[in-house]
Amino acid sequence: MAALRSTSSRLLAAAASPRSTILPSVFVRSMASVGNATVEANPKSSTDSRMKSFQIYRWNPDTPSEKPRMQTYTLDLNKTGPMVLDALVRIKNELDPTLTFRRSCREGICGSCAMNINGTNTLACLCRIPTDTSAEMKIYPLPHTYVVKDLVPDLTHFYKQYKSIKPYLQRDTPAPDGKEYRQSKAERRRLDGLYECILCACCSTSCPSYWWNAEEYLGPAILLQSYRWLADSRDERKAERKAALDNSMSLYRCHTILNCTRTCPKGLNPGLAIAEIKKEMSF
Amino acid sequence: MNAQRLGLRALRQAAVKKPNALFFENLPRLALTTNAAALQTRSASTQKISENDAQSLLAAQRRQRPVSPHLTAYDYSQTWFGASIWTRITGQALSVSLYSFSLAYLVAPLTGWHIESATLASAAASLSPVLLTGFKTIVAWPFFFHFANGFRHLTWDLTYGFKKATIQQTSYVVLGASIIGTLGAVFLL
Amino acid sequence: MASSLARPLLLRQTALAASTRRAATATFARQQLIRSTITKDTARVAAFHASSRRSLLPPGPQVIKGTVNDPAPIPETSPSHGSYHWTFERLIAAGIIPLTIAPFAGGSLNPGLDAILCSLLLVHSHLGFQSVIIDYIPNSRYPKSRKAAHWLLNAATALVGVGLYEFETNDVGLTEAVKRVWKAQA
Repeated sequence: MAALRSTSSRLLAAAASPRSTILPSVFVRSMASVGNATVEANPKSSTDSRMKSFQIYRWNPDTPSEKPRMQTYTLDLNKTGPMVLDALVRIKNELDPTLTFRRSCREGICGSCAMNINGTNTLACLCRIPTDTSAEMKIYPLPHTYVVKDLVPDLTHFYKQYKSIKPYLQRDTPAPDGKEYRQSKAERRRLDGLYECILCACCSTSCPSYWWNAEEYLGPAILLQSYRWLADSRDERKAERKAALDNSMSLYRCHTILNCTRTCPKGLNPGLAIAEIKKEMSF
Repeated sequence: MNAQRLGLRALRQAAVKKPNALFFENLPRLALTTNAAALQTRSASTQKISENDAQSLLAAQRRQRPVSPHLTAYDYSQTWFGASIWTRITGQALSVSLYSFSLAYLVAPLTGWHIESATLASAAASLSPVLLTGFKTIVAWPFFFHFANGFRHLTWDLTYGFKKATIQQTSYVVLGASIIGTLGAVFLL
Repeated sequence: MASSLARPLLLRQTALAASTRRAATATFARQQLIRSTITKDTARVAAFHASSRRSLLPPGPQVIKGTVNDPAPIPETSPSHGSYHWTFERLIAAGIIPLTIAPFAGGSLNPGLDAILCSLLLVHSHLGFQSVIIDYIPNSRYPKSRKAAHWLLNAATALVGVGLYEFETNDVGLTEAVKRVWKAQA
């Protein structure tokens, strides 16, 4: 597909990049840019194009003394897919191959492309590019995380915290029929809105409490997972699970700010899950 | 790094004579179709490293990492202008006033201050009406806001009102109630 | 896992060394050209400050304790700092509600209720300050400041308690005092 593309269409796509006009042959890498097939070799006029600027957070671990900076890229929305991830992929393909971000499934199930887009955390693959071309789009890594490179945050501690809540079924008594642990429909329904969490860390990194106390406070995502096991009728270690949360830091740094519920790209409600835990533990 | 990658590609293009070679995807195909020896020319090499060295390398790299922007980047309507932080701010302001007043009252006999209620009332009466109204507003709004949002927080603690739309609506209700309460307290009481 | 993480760094280092060795080749000239265009490009880049110097509560350099596969440590169970504390906090807060509405409805509070309101407000304030201290003075980084802040708060609350007792017994009481100031007419 890339071989079919003419230089001029590439120039159009990368019109904002002075680099590509100087060295077009260097920036010919292309993957799935939407709409390339229909683009004419000669652009009719610039009035047809809808150029939108993307300001993206950049930091390179090779030059750690350099401060993080915002770099602006401009894309024609007519030739870009509808989602922010499409734009990022296109920037990486055609404008700047050094731009680094995580992505995998492009359909909101892997949670890799979680980032801060226009102020709120969401998955780039589920976030539409606003069609208003006058406003610049700002893309940051997940807030208050340590940056590995550009838009890639280090979530090691997040995963370690996930491991600390023992996210698996703990049970001693065998199933009565020796085959499976049965649940009633009502019991199963309690897990709805909990099991769908993909651990993208959007909610945790939107939480100011987690910003200040990530070391000890578990954060909304992990607490939602914690409640997923507390709410499971098959689990038999509820007392231990609750005891692990019963201190001033793990759970009770939640002040019901509810940025988590507002930001969850999967439409889940970590705030409610935490409130349920608190209620269960108190009354 | 940037230049290095480009250099890699330039090398590969020279070897393959195919200017549009995809960076990652075509590697296996290239290895199959072209002279493998020519392709093996790589400017980067790998190196064996012990587990401990790898860990210390990673630890050193971690220490260099910046923290991504948070308060400066996150949606201001949720962080700076969110009801939550203002509940804390107003609560702290009221508590600080309470603490400083009663501490002052405690030491008043020693320092000779007069902050009995009668003195304070006459002092307030001597203020100009505009100033008094402003003072009342400054006290009343934090009180009513903290009260209204505190009530919302208590209903949340009973696990009610967690729908996204409800959260939005009640935040407006809290703001409206605090303003109405303030106006009522300042001008009607 | 760990070695694969460290690899890119090594790769970069060795690659940089290799690139300087290849200085005479044509690739180098090309690299130079690219480099210069890239440096030109940085002029378009807005300066952006995210350094810890400007941020509130600078988090310090990243240190991960234990390996990637070790769970984060679980704090000791202590209901008096956890669930009991939380429930107590809510009960105090809920108790304040009727006592603050009553004066608006009934004009004022009788001295007994006023004393209860004062003590509830005192405890509520104390708990509020306490959670601010816990939130903003992390024990892991500033254990001494945390301890000092807690003791300062305890001392202040005790003194304020005495002060409020004095005020309640010698003066007209909190609600009545607020009412007097509020209704003050020139």
